[in-house]
Amino acid sequence: MRRLLAMAWHDLWRRPRRTLINMSAVGVGLFLVILYSSLMAGFMGSAKDDLDDTGMGHVEISAHGWRAREEPSKAMTDPQALMARLALPPGSQVGARVVGRALGSSAHGNQGVEVDGVDPKAEGELSAYFNDVRQGKRLAPGDDKGVVIGEKLAKKLKLGLDGRLRLMVQRADGEMGAGLYRVRGIFHSISPAISGERVLLTMPASQALYGLGDQASVVIVQLSHPEQADDLAERIGSALGPSFDVVSYGRLLPELKKMESLISVMQLGIALFVYFLVGLGILNTTLMSVMERTREFGVMMALGTRSRRIVALVFGEAFWIATLSVAVGLTAGLLVSWFGQTHVLVDFGKGLGEGFDFAGTTMRTAVKLKLSVPAAIQASVLVYALALVVGIYPAWRVTRLQPAQALRAA
Amino acid sequence: MAVVEIKDVVKDYVEDGEVVTHALRGVDLRIEKGEFMAIAGPSGSGKTTLLNLLGALDTPTSGSVRIDGTELAKMKAKALSDLRRDRIGFVFQAYNLFPVLTAAENAEYVLELQGVSAADRHKRVGELFDRLGLKDLADKRPAKMSGGQQQRVAVARAIAAEPAIVLADEPTANLDQENGRALMDMMRELNRDRGITFLFSTHDAMVLERADRVVHLVDGKVATDERSRAA
Repeated sequence: MRRLLAMAWHDLWRRPRRTLINMSAVGVGLFLVILYSSLMAGFMGSAKDDLDDTGMGHVEISAHGWRAREEPSKAMTDPQALMARLALPPGSQVGARVVGRALGSSAHGNQGVEVDGVDPKAEGELSAYFNDVRQGKRLAPGDDKGVVIGEKLAKKLKLGLDGRLRLMVQRADGEMGAGLYRVRGIFHSISPAISGERVLLTMPASQALYGLGDQASVVIVQLSHPEQADDLAERIGSALGPSFDVVSYGRLLPELKKMESLISVMQLGIALFVYFLVGLGILNTTLMSVMERTREFGVMMALGTRSRRIVALVFGEAFWIATLSVAVGLTAGLLVSWFGQTHVLVDFGKGLGEGFDFAGTTMRTAVKLKLSVPAAIQASVLVYALALVVGIYPAWRVTRLQPAQALRAA
Repeated sequence: MAVVEIKDVVKDYVEDGEVVTHALRGVDLRIEKGEFMAIAGPSGSGKTTLLNLLGALDTPTSGSVRIDGTELAKMKAKALSDLRRDRIGFVFQAYNLFPVLTAAENAEYVLELQGVSAADRHKRVGELFDRLGLKDLADKRPAKMSGGQQQRVAVARAIAAEPAIVLADEPTANLDQENGRALMDMMRELNRDRGITFLFSTHDAMVLERADRVVHLVDGKVATDERSRAA
């Protein structure tokens, strides 16, 4: 076997230019597949993994019927006890929120806002923007008179630090409620909607504002592995029963899910096209090499070489082409994807800012790649498989040769 | 027992169901062990066809070909491959060494097919190269060798596995007189010392002079079968 592989290797370099060109073509094909898959994984991954940019959870639990209109009256009782009951995968983050609409007013204007009553300790793990306070300070536990608002909202209402914001709401009992708060901090969010509408209060302050007692609107779960969301939502839903609605981000953001499927299909289509070209490259090299050496195969047969060994030699050449191409394509793909994980290589944000709201979540315009080593290895294994498959035809041609005829070949 | 025996062999080349060439028209031939013989004849007389049949590279249209008493017509492709590997050595006009292998590796090729261990192969081929004066060429690839050197390595490859017969198709055709003579001397020595049977197809008068027996083919038939007085 070693001799065969050595012969196949040397055979490959009889025409070094042709081998290098074909190997580069196959390598570039593999590189593009890895790069594209890293790009798409980065694009979709940032939308899925970073749902905390929008304050969403991978799984959300609410009292039955709350989600339809987000009415304060449909809140859940004792969220702390409910969170204690949840058996979550390691690395998960969980927290409760009061969520409601309000009319926010300052001395300079009014604006419809979304109020999020949060536990500051838990929220720090759930929302990226909660921690990204650009002016002032973060919302502190016990600060029931303070609010933190988005940059765009602050601009609209011309509010600065320590400015006064009045919130008017419809309470759970149907009456009107209002509260006056001081701006403690102004946060930054890549989402235009969050930056322009969100107001953060402490949980007790929001419960008092909406007249909810110890109730909360929603419990948010964020996972280290978002792909577990559907299974987890189903499991929690069965455990909690019909008085709760438990939904995964896939149901919350069906467009995101659809886009994910669309991208998968596109990825498959592009990969198939590239692999088709890769296959042609390998077929070309192997077939040319076989056709040029008909007489040599005749000599091999004359010396007593069985067809099986000659076929193995042809496959050996295909194996080496695949190996060289994978070495080039995989190395380049891994290096560029690895570099692209920490550096922005693709930015289509001209005029869009840092992000744009799409399909219920926020897409970053500056996309970082997300390297998946298993996916890259899978793509490389496919190149090997393809090399073997396209090697069948040249190998079959060799087995059809008659020794005497092959020896007569030019 | 004859190393090779063919009886009433006919070989027709057929294209689109029609016979286009009668290459051999009822040839009988018996080659004994240790013979050093040549097949002569003009182009198209059937020399190469006969050599292909004797080398189990082709099958006759009719008639019988036996090598070491085994009838080739009854053998399957795999068995024919093994027969060529173990019992027949080939030397080609254009040398046909494998360009990606060194001279020693070329000579070891058939031994490797036979499953001989690497150590044993190196030893046997080393000894053979010493004997044939090819030692300095052992690590050279064919592209770095002259035609004469390549053909001598091809002879080493043909005899390394100690076949019953070596078939050489116009072995001196691409060599100058000096190299041609040196090659023939080498093969004659192997024939005498080791009892290896050699059969050449040739036009070359120098080869014919040195052969113990010359079979002349004309139009696919044996015209004469002469033994030299020395033989």
